[in-house]
Amino acid sequence: MENERQEILEGLLEVLKTVRTIDPERLVGVTEETDFLTDLSTPSTELINIAAKVEQKFDIEFEDEDIDRMGSKVKDVIDLIIMVKERSK
Amino acid sequence: MIVAGRKVAVVGMGGAFPTCTDLDDFDKKLFAGESLIRNWPKAAAYDKQIRSMVAGYITEPEMNLEAIHPVPETEYPETYVDLLGRIPDLNLATADLGCVWAMLGAQESIKMAGWSKAEVESEQTGVVIASGGGGNVISRHAWHAFYELGKKTRMAGSHTVDRAMSYREAANVSCLIRNKGVCESIISACATGLGNIGYAYRLIKFGLQDRAITGGVEGTALETFIGFDAMQVLSKGFAPEQSSRPFDIKRNGFVCSFGAGIVALEEYEMAKARGANILGVIDEYFNNSDGDGNMFYPSYDGQKRLWKGLMAGGNIKPDVVKVHGTATPVGDILELISVVDTLGEEGYHISAPKAQFGHMLGAAGSVEFIASLLMLKNQKVLPCINSDELNPELENFQKKDGWEGSNKPAAAYRHLISQETVAKEINQIVCLNYGFGGTNSAMSVSRDDK
Repeated sequence: MENERQEILEGLLEVLKTVRTIDPERLVGVTEETDFLTDLSTPSTELINIAAKVEQKFDIEFEDEDIDRMGSKVKDVIDLIIMVKERSK
Repeated sequence: MIVAGRKVAVVGMGGAFPTCTDLDDFDKKLFAGESLIRNWPKAAAYDKQIRSMVAGYITEPEMNLEAIHPVPETEYPETYVDLLGRIPDLNLATADLGCVWAMLGAQESIKMAGWSKAEVESEQTGVVIASGGGGNVISRHAWHAFYELGKKTRMAGSHTVDRAMSYREAANVSCLIRNKGVCESIISACATGLGNIGYAYRLIKFGLQDRAITGGVEGTALETFIGFDAMQVLSKGFAPEQSSRPFDIKRNGFVCSFGAGIVALEEYEMAKARGANILGVIDEYFNNSDGDGNMFYPSYDGQKRLWKGLMAGGNIKPDVVKVHGTATPVGDILELISVVDTLGEEGYHISAPKAQFGHMLGAAGSVEFIASLLMLKNQKVLPCINSDELNPELENFQKKDGWEGSNKPAAAYRHLISQETVAKEINQIVCLNYGFGGTNSAMSVSRDDK
């Protein structure tokens, strides 16, 4: 479980490195508690791009409601990825 | 309405120009008589699907930009990286290619103008910029993902609107420079470039703003090019540098080009008071419509009325007329005759800079306005390259019943159209641009010391 979350976090960091509006220096030391909006200063319009990139990276597809409910912390995205993976099994 | 005594100065300029590293390079190449037209590999890759293969295009690396593509990779430019660090990533995220050029042109114009941060960010500073087309590169991929691939809308990303909306250039420049005055776009097809400058001029002349960043843009886009290629109005069959040939008897269409022309305008007395370098003073701006119900065909009557409106103030006596001169079969000579019938047959030169850099669509009017400012600065008329032979016969429209214009052929006006750069005293230039829909615009600009 912990390994899976760590792997997802690492994959998520790979995605975030491709988001040009996030300062790469802020990605050092990202944890599950990091908040996209307050800690990474991610423009709110960028969250949907991150979601779309995550879908491609992890080969999953979110429901619209999943994204509507998604929080702004890294752990919220990881929870969502795990939940969608489970749902599609 | 016009506020008496209020004048408008041009105090800065910049932009993006095919094959040119910067404004100085553009200046140098133009007055050396060079062509900025090249074979376009991107068009050639589609082989027989495309009719015309030449363009005045600008690639991302030529502007020190790098396009970031999605993974898995497609042609879609997800965002741009500014390799010289001129534009912050946050601003690049909301920009298509033309918007990046507009922002760079705005930065150059402001630097040349010498405006302070407070002046730029003032409520008295406006932004009036537009392009002729939509954000076609961005829209194409968004629509393809949705309609053809059946993907969710979010696969297009959340920047489809801001990167493709009609006034994206004005919006992006305003967000970059943080002005607090007007932020708008004037869109009028190929008259867009001059139309935006004309509107910004009026904002200042009417006392609504003191400064404006203004101009026109057309970002490199094969998506834009193919629309004109489909109409069979693009030049074909010549070497690239010979492809754009306004007034020449063998002309068979325009060369589709891309670029950006941005200028900084300022209320004249303010500019003088702070010792600004004044590149030109705008004398008049006038625009109208043909009113004949024809979307495409130029109108002699519309152009004659355009001149009448421009000259109503009584201060127009140009040394150079910078014409629209696209190199389409009818437009050039009809325009030539409307100029001659207005100004007479002597005492000025005609300049058609599209001969050197093609037709930049929404950027045409503003880049040609910059070319005119360079003519004022250099005191030289740009050469109308490739105008090798003018028709010794009358045009078909001159033979029609009811024709009221000159009954001389184009060749009778050879002395007005030089193939070489002409050095002479230039105090005033009139700039003309027209667009689909029968829209016509004219601006006169003069040297400050005259």
